[in-house]
Amino acid sequence: MNETDDERLGGEEGPAEDLAEDLAEGLLDELRQAAAILDPVPAELRRSAVEAYALRDLDARLAELTFDSLVDAIPVRGVTDAPRMLTFRSGDVTVDVEVTGQGLLGQVLPPQSASIEVLSGRPAASPTTLTADDLGRFTSDAPPAGPFALRLRTGGQLVVTEWLRA
Amino acid sequence: MRTGTAPSAAYDDLPYTRGGAVDRADVGVLVQSAVDGDAAAWKALVEGLSPLVWSVVRAHRLSDADAHEVYQTVWFRFAQHLGRIREPQKAGAWLASTARHESLKVLRSLRRLTPTDDAQLLDRASEDRTPEQSVIDSEDAAAQTERVRRLWQEFEELGERCRQLLRVLMATPPPSYQEVAAALGIAVGSIGPLRQRCLRRLRARLEGAL
Repeated sequence: MNETDDERLGGEEGPAEDLAEDLAEGLLDELRQAAAILDPVPAELRRSAVEAYALRDLDARLAELTFDSLVDAIPVRGVTDAPRMLTFRSGDVTVDVEVTGQGLLGQVLPPQSASIEVLSGRPAASPTTLTADDLGRFTSDAPPAGPFALRLRTGGQLVVTEWLRA
Repeated sequence: MRTGTAPSAAYDDLPYTRGGAVDRADVGVLVQSAVDGDAAAWKALVEGLSPLVWSVVRAHRLSDADAHEVYQTVWFRFAQHLGRIREPQKAGAWLASTARHESLKVLRSLRRLTPTDDAQLLDRASEDRTPEQSVIDSEDAAAQTERVRRLWQEFEELGERCRQLLRVLMATPPPSYQEVAAALGIAVGSIGPLRQRCLRRLRARLEGAL
């Protein structure tokens, strides 16, 4: 069970394999049925995906994730609880966010005051509202649980960050 | 306006998708309808592509809690990106690829939090499900239950690569090769041979040859 083995066997598909296709398909069908019984999509998740449509923010500009320390930074040896650093960008507005176990810390750039809602994966829960000061800095002492997005109102603009799981 | 019932989404006319195959152009049409404000089209996309997203997440052996969060993140983000997806007919591949990347991020963050080796990490899936909870409770079903349980057990014990591939392939409706490639970060051309090999191996296990 290694790569070489995979390739060797993979390259050997011949008439015998074609004959086996019906059997293979049958087995896959059985697996499909087993998955539907043993590991289906949880109904509440399906519902939340359906509801995501109504929650789309058609008025807001989307700020895309342009930096994620989990992917783009090299971990420092021995440091196991480094904060998650994120950067979102939409046109000329940049939002830097740092997520730690203690909460959330961030800055809007260029520096400007802003009203910020922390959206969560539980639409029923009312979003936490934060205020960025004149230098664009904001903090929250509650780390986001699960998927979150920030919705910023600043200088007449409405910007929402891409959803992310912190 | 579409009805609320979900047409099954997507799929290539690749040989193994026979049966529930639907013109894959449908996915593009549904995406466009959803962009235009048709909530039923969105619902149809969720119905048709949810099992694919879930399969990708499960293929990466995320715990229940992590799997739920990644699944939600993927769909929330898809809703945000709906009008910007360049090739709407490839929405399935977009979802599969996003699910893969978010799953890998979770695995990476776990690794950073607790220095641990992969083997331990990979042992932490599917904590609290038993077949008995889900399968119809009747005496006639007992033999069938046993067969399903055995099949699942042998599947779970396959090598990691085969387990991942088959977990994605068993989504309903069957994903296209393009979606499978996006889900696993492998070349489309490698899927067919690998699939044959993995199913052969699974059959051998079931027949007690391994």
